[in-house]
Amino acid sequence: MSFREKSTWVTFVLLLVTFAVYFGNAFFVLHGANHVDGHPTSSLFHLFFQLVFWFIVLEIVMHILIAARTPKDANAPLDEREKLIALKSMQPAFYVLLVGAFLAIGTLHLGTTTYHMAHSVLFVVWIAELVRHGMQLYYFRRGG
Amino acid sequence: MRTPVITNAIRRLRSEHGDMTQQELADYVGVTRQTINAIELEKYSPSLEVAFKIAAVFKTPLEKVFQYRD
Repeated sequence: MSFREKSTWVTFVLLLVTFAVYFGNAFFVLHGANHVDGHPTSSLFHLFFQLVFWFIVLEIVMHILIAARTPKDANAPLDEREKLIALKSMQPAFYVLLVGAFLAIGTLHLGTTTYHMAHSVLFVVWIAELVRHGMQLYYFRRGG
Repeated sequence: MRTPVITNAIRRLRSEHGDMTQQELADYVGVTRQTINAIELEKYSPSLEVAFKIAAVFKTPLEKVFQYRD
């Protein structure tokens, strides 16, 4: 497995776990009793920044570890197949983002708050990123 | 499974050149070992630039390395 593929796996898993924790909490906070007039308590805000902090720290640590095993690979620029994989993976992720963004805007017409809409947009960005990294892994496994 | 249109003789050429490894060929060409493997297994068709570089490593005309099948 190449450094790029390992790197993509690391980011994919960390994205999946970190934001699954966040959206799991956000769902209960936004739909539970722990909010006033649609504005959740600051706990959600703090949780978000804590998770983003740990996401960044773990990304750095994991990338240092995998780069230490294959330093030559890690320092090499993307080759043409890797660039093509990155480009091909952007397309489905973009469609997910586009459709999801419009659906997120549509939530306002359902009588939800801007706080809900912001979370819907964030959720869509998360799904689009998972699709992008997931597609990269698929193409890496397929060969190109 | 799709039938590859561009086939190649890289594996044979590597063995004829002192059992050159995929990593050695990748280093000469400037791509990753995984890319050479994907080309060799006909899962990925390289750009003209990489195709010419591979042919140059083996000091062989391009058409002896890559073949196009209709």
